[in-house]
Amino acid sequence: MTDGKPTVFLVDDDPGVLKGMSRLLRARGYDVRPYASPQAFLAGHDSAVPGCAVLDVAMPGLDGLALQQALTDSGVHRPVIFLTGKGDIPTSVRAMKAGAIDFLTKPVSSDVLLEAIARAEKTDAEARRHRAELAAIEAKLATLTPREREVLTHVAAGRLNKQIAGDLGTVEKTIKVHRSRMMEKLGVRTVADLVRLAEKAGVGR
Amino acid sequence: MTKGRPTGGMDTMTADHRAVTRRRRRVFVARAVSCAAALVILLAAIGTAAAEPRRVLVVHAFGHPYSPWSDFAASFRAELVKKSPEPIDLYEVSLDTARVRDPQGEAPFVDYIHALLAGRTPDLIVPVGAPSAFFMQRHRAQLYPTTPMLILGADLRRIPGTTLTKYDTGVLLDLDLPAYLDNILRLRPDTTDVAVVVGNSPVERYWTSELQRDFQRFGDRVTITWFNDLTFGEMLRRAAVMPPRSAIFWFLLSEDAAGVPYSQDRALETMREVASVPIFGMGDHELGRGIVGGPLMQTQGIGKAGAEVALRILKGETPSDINPPSVLFGAPMYDARELQRWGIRESRLAPDSIVQFREPTLWEQHRGLVIAATLVFVMQTAFLAALLIHRRRRRLAERLLEESEEHMTFAAASVNLGLWQFDRHTGTLWATDHCRVLFNLAGDAPLTCKTIVNAVHPEDRETIVRALRGTSDPERPAVNEVRVVLPDDQIRWIRMRARSSFSASGRADQLSGNFIDVTDQKAAEADAAQQRAEVAHLMRVTTLGELSGAIAHEINQPLTAILSNAQAALHLLKEPSPDLAEIRDALQDIVHEENRAGEVIGRLRGFLKKGERKTEAVDVNLLVDSTINLLKHELIGRRIEVKVDAAEAVAPIVGDPVQLQQVLLNLVMNAMDAMDATSAAQRTVEISTRMPGTGGVEIRVGDRGPGIRAEQRGRLFQPFFTTKEHGLGLGLAICSAIVEAHGGELSLANRDGGGAVAAFSLPAQEILMAAQ
Repeated sequence: MTDGKPTVFLVDDDPGVLKGMSRLLRARGYDVRPYASPQAFLAGHDSAVPGCAVLDVAMPGLDGLALQQALTDSGVHRPVIFLTGKGDIPTSVRAMKAGAIDFLTKPVSSDVLLEAIARAEKTDAEARRHRAELAAIEAKLATLTPREREVLTHVAAGRLNKQIAGDLGTVEKTIKVHRSRMMEKLGVRTVADLVRLAEKAGVGR
Repeated sequence: MTKGRPTGGMDTMTADHRAVTRRRRRVFVARAVSCAAALVILLAAIGTAAAEPRRVLVVHAFGHPYSPWSDFAASFRAELVKKSPEPIDLYEVSLDTARVRDPQGEAPFVDYIHALLAGRTPDLIVPVGAPSAFFMQRHRAQLYPTTPMLILGADLRRIPGTTLTKYDTGVLLDLDLPAYLDNILRLRPDTTDVAVVVGNSPVERYWTSELQRDFQRFGDRVTITWFNDLTFGEMLRRAAVMPPRSAIFWFLLSEDAAGVPYSQDRALETMREVASVPIFGMGDHELGRGIVGGPLMQTQGIGKAGAEVALRILKGETPSDINPPSVLFGAPMYDARELQRWGIRESRLAPDSIVQFREPTLWEQHRGLVIAATLVFVMQTAFLAALLIHRRRRRLAERLLEESEEHMTFAAASVNLGLWQFDRHTGTLWATDHCRVLFNLAGDAPLTCKTIVNAVHPEDRETIVRALRGTSDPERPAVNEVRVVLPDDQIRWIRMRARSSFSASGRADQLSGNFIDVTDQKAAEADAAQQRAEVAHLMRVTTLGELSGAIAHEINQPLTAILSNAQAALHLLKEPSPDLAEIRDALQDIVHEENRAGEVIGRLRGFLKKGERKTEAVDVNLLVDSTINLLKHELIGRRIEVKVDAAEAVAPIVGDPVQLQQVLLNLVMNAMDAMDATSAAQRTVEISTRMPGTGGVEIRVGDRGPGIRAEQRGRLFQPFFTTKEHGLGLGLAICSAIVEAHGGELSLANRDGGGAVAAFSLPAQEILMAAQ
């Protein structure tokens, strides 16, 4: 997010295409990081940098789809837009299933490309925000004692204190203490907030 | 049908002989009568000194000569002298007793004979004729009663057997008198009158009565007039005025009614000269003297038969033991001149008749001349015939030659072939007429080197001149092709075949050969080449269809770059202060990418181009690069690696780059297809170029597929044979045809370690140049 410009990772083995598209995207205000081969991309890629990737499908050594798979396999959630010289349907279906934002046929008009990139950027931003929120929740959850976590699970499931005490083999009062301490640690004041948080964190699933 | 004896020569000889005999006889008469005694004395003197001669006494009753008796005697005499082993001492007396009416007056004749023989006894006495025989019989007692006697030429009826003693025998006549008249009527059936010439001597009177008796039976057919009481003058007068349908029968004229004696031959000839009708005679001695002829008494036959008997008697045989048959008529004999004179056709003659005195032919008259002339004529004819035959043969040979030449010319012309011969020494050209047609020359244009050279396309004139100048191995004719431009600008191709023939001096002065119109062949070749090109083109289109994705990518890349740059530039221009340097860069990139796209399209167009096969120098390594470029995206798409092992400094080859690229493309694509089932790590196409020692360039394309199965081997180059699911089966067939058209050969083999390798070699440029 240097200079606040969205970043586009551009991978194409064709130098002319790489150069032309880089120029176009830069003109439209993107921070373009061009790579002439998949290997170079994988080596120089920083997953912390928000933004999307525009990949050529047909490249020697490692094609676009394989590259996407390699990113996924290494836990990188980078939105990907594919560009291809020949838009054959099986390849595009495979790409979309693997989570591609779009599958565009060369030569691509700037409007279509920029729209797809915008979508990808948005997706990336949302994903990043979501991942950040989740990480915060996880951090708060990490402060809970095992007993408090148990209580959280039961509360998120909609059970009453009394029921929880019965389930856990303790008294209602003890449950109340855990519950208030847990809610304090998690920073929620109402049960509704707690349930929403637990849902986000996937607690009780 | 009467047969004349055709050998007139013998008749002539007979006539000659007769003439000689006649002359000899006349000489003899003079001697016999006047000098007989002297002769006898001389003969006797010689006789005592030499062997004892045989004495023969010939007795005549008439004067000498007197036909027919003198004729009997002459023939007898000649035959006897000729045949006798001993000398013959001949005494011949002519007594004329026949004309003596009183037998008492004969005594002096007896004395004469005695005196003549002068005491010698003859060994044989020969009385000639009946009167002579009668004389001897009357005086036998005085005239050598025991001496053998041979009566010659008397008629049988006048000498009855009873009158003959044991010392006597006779060669006698048996005259068939009616046969004479029969003959006349046979030859002239319409004869109404016959005059009989007969004399009035005692012997004639006898015969007159005999004739009258024997002729009685003809009384109802002919009227017979007897001349016996006429003088010869009267006879002639009568003979001259005989009615048309009459004849004269000349029997015997010794004495006419007036007692005038006639030597018959002359009398007969006289009558013949005046007679108005034909004269028939009684003996062969008359033939040739004016008689027509018929059954005749044989005077010579009698003489000869008599001589035979005389010889037997002289040898010692007893006369009475010898009974010679009486002499009859021989075969009827005729005189051709008389037959002709009286208009008697030879068809009327009896079948065995002999015709004499034919008019001597040219042959008989001038035999030598005729033979010589004939010989000359025959030789000339033969010479002419030989000349004619020779001419005919020559004409035949000429005609055959002409025909043969015509056939050859026709055959040559019908296959559009012209024949020619060129004498380099004299510079003259001989050529068949069809050459005019081939070179589009006017019918009356001269066929020379110059006209032919001028008739060909200007660019080819040097070729034809060089061909006429150059020598060639006689075994291997030089072949050149030249063009003739026709008036409608059409091109006619003439193939010229030339072969030198060496003269004795070893110089190749003669050049012969043919011109043949190969326009059709050229057209067919061009058609075939065009069809091959069409199919090859179709295959290229098909190939590119298969590669369409890769090709689209290839074109899309520059297009993408162009579009991106253009849009970037447009966007930059909207800025308040546009970055012009960046915009210029963008535009430059656009130009660059545009060129790139143009190159791709150009390459495709070239590859898809239809048209005549080009022939230019081709760098095989560049060809490999270009091919890999075309396939680049396909190779990437299929995860196939390409390894190129290019020889450095490959010699250029001559050929059509498009077609050769097609071959290479096809082989590489086959290699790619072969590796569908090969693991990705092993998918490698290996392309190598090298220059083997043979001087060409070899290109190999190897793969790591399953290789060629045994049962596929041998069918790989067959059209429509394919191992691919969607293959046409034409790729290798076309590749093979293209390589062969470039003078090379395409082969396929399995590789060690799996996979197949396709290899083809092409002759390098220098080799091709040398070959041409």
